[in-house]
Amino acid sequence: MFQIISAIVLRRLVLAIPTLLLLSLVVFFVLRILPADPLAMLLPASATPADAAALRQQLGFDKPIPQQFAIWLWAALNGNLGLSINFRQPVAHLMMAALPATLELTLTGLVLALVISIPGGVLAFVLYRRRRETAADLAVALMQSIPSFLWSLLLIVAFGVLWPVLPFSGRVDPDVTLPGLTGFALIDLLLTGQFRGWLGALSHLVLPALALALGFAPLVIRVLRSSLIEAASEPHVEVARLRGLSEGRILWRHILKNAALPTITLIGVQFGFLFGGALLVEMIFGYPGIGNLMVQAVKANDLPLIQGIALIFCVLMLSITIVVDVLYAVLNPRMRNL
Amino acid sequence: MSIADLSAVAAPRAERMSSLGAALRQLARQPRVWVGGGILLVVAVLAIFARWIAPHDPLDQDLLHMLAPPLWAADGSMEFPLGTDGLGRCVLSRAIYGARVALTVAVAAAFGSMLLGSALALVGGYFGGLVDRLVTYVVDLWLSFPPVVLSLILLVGLGTGVDKVILAVVLVDWTRFCRVVRADVLLTRRRDFVLAAQLIGFGHLRTMLREVLPAVVPLMITLFSIEMGIAIVVEATLSFIGLSVPSDITTWGQMLADSRNDMQSAVWVMLVPVFCIITTVLACNLLGDGVRVALDPRLRQREG
Repeated sequence: MFQIISAIVLRRLVLAIPTLLLLSLVVFFVLRILPADPLAMLLPASATPADAAALRQQLGFDKPIPQQFAIWLWAALNGNLGLSINFRQPVAHLMMAALPATLELTLTGLVLALVISIPGGVLAFVLYRRRRETAADLAVALMQSIPSFLWSLLLIVAFGVLWPVLPFSGRVDPDVTLPGLTGFALIDLLLTGQFRGWLGALSHLVLPALALALGFAPLVIRVLRSSLIEAASEPHVEVARLRGLSEGRILWRHILKNAALPTITLIGVQFGFLFGGALLVEMIFGYPGIGNLMVQAVKANDLPLIQGIALIFCVLMLSITIVVDVLYAVLNPRMRNL
Repeated sequence: MSIADLSAVAAPRAERMSSLGAALRQLARQPRVWVGGGILLVVAVLAIFARWIAPHDPLDQDLLHMLAPPLWAADGSMEFPLGTDGLGRCVLSRAIYGARVALTVAVAAAFGSMLLGSALALVGGYFGGLVDRLVTYVVDLWLSFPPVVLSLILLVGLGTGVDKVILAVVLVDWTRFCRVVRADVLLTRRRDFVLAAQLIGFGHLRTMLREVLPAVVPLMITLFSIEMGIAIVVEATLSFIGLSVPSDITTWGQMLADSRNDMQSAVWVMLVPVFCIITTVLACNLLGDGVRVALDPRLRQREG
């Protein structure tokens, strides 16, 4: 078992290297065909062309693009992602500060999405069997037409404005400062025993995580429903029925278990959807994560920061792929006997 | 088997014509196609004839009527049926004009991604081997980016404007078509009529376009319809961030961004573009689902 897992991880890591290189290259070139001058906002109004040239040279923007890429790559391999033009801080530093917030948000969102979509998918499947699928189909189609960022606005209107019960700005209450141990607000505040602050952080997390979950749930519901339909037509289900097992037991123990694999695969493939959704959700809720940082970087043409965040997103996506592969191997009995 | 028999298998034209009629009949029996198509038709009419339908210029700022309430409120008036926003602009007119950008991006971006993605899928799936592996690799490479992040990066590189947004969506979402259509092409390539076409000496291009392509068209129509919805959301997202189009063009995303300032006092200003986006995207999804159920023989059997 352990051998299989380490083989999968190793294979994936080897495959990840050219992927990361190529993606960095693509991002680098896309950003360098930029029509706007990234330096414009660094220079004071009184700057002469000579000042501009000096700054250009100082930041390395005067060199040919392949050479710029080589310099960036070498520094990146040494853990140096350059200096953010807009924030004037190291890119790596900015990203490490924002990453835990994004992970906290997306993981909470994922858990909430599963809480919504596992019963939802089973319900859709039961309705399909009873030929009442039209209503369920319509509900899922409607949910699928509401992206996370619209959910964010709707949730703010509902629980922030019309019935103001939950906070919708920032990550913790204004009088709380995060201790900064792990970067995960819920863990840090619990470790330092600030329970009121912990509840505050939790209440700040509810709306953005729910917005993310509601945007993601219909995808999971759809694939779970069709996997359940598929799994229900397997011969062993009929055998279980002949053995006299109850329908409920057949559903939960025999069908759902087999429908789990394709669902996990889909979640892995669509994780980018969660990160992309988090980008807007973080921006709308003023949540200090990677997505919010990305929006600010894009608005300011902050090339080093955009490049760094793009790299982090790729690393995150590749890590998810590895996790999904390992889960698949652990859960799939066919792989276990190898 | 004689050549005549083979060509009967290769180009069953009469059968194909009747299958087109059968397909249309199947489509017409799907309520989802009617509802989705109907809503899209209404939105399209509003967008095309916006100049005559909209009661005001969408950019006209009436500073005497800022945040005027909608018609159903106690002091609403016919002059501004859906009220005005924080700058005194007619919300109804802005919503109608916003449909223009949304539909333009939806149709053009979906068409572009379909063309690019399906062409690569056809070539990769048909020829297989190295070409196929190359196409698959690029698709996998693309998929290791969250789509929103990739389109943001592309827009930074390309600059703003409706055409740039369309290009960005095409460059991001062609993979959606490519992945799904390729799988279908792989199946179709092994079918009898394709082998027969190759046997009677059809060229690769002719076999691809005349034999393989028609078999994957139903799938492409479904994906096209769903992609329109995705493109509308992406455009709204980008213009919500403020990256999509200059401010003299009205978009739903921009209306959302503007309405956030007055969220506390005027909720309906935000709810109107939210409603527009959800309804239009829902129409695209319903149409796509309807086409899928109507034209996929496996599904049709199952759904009775």
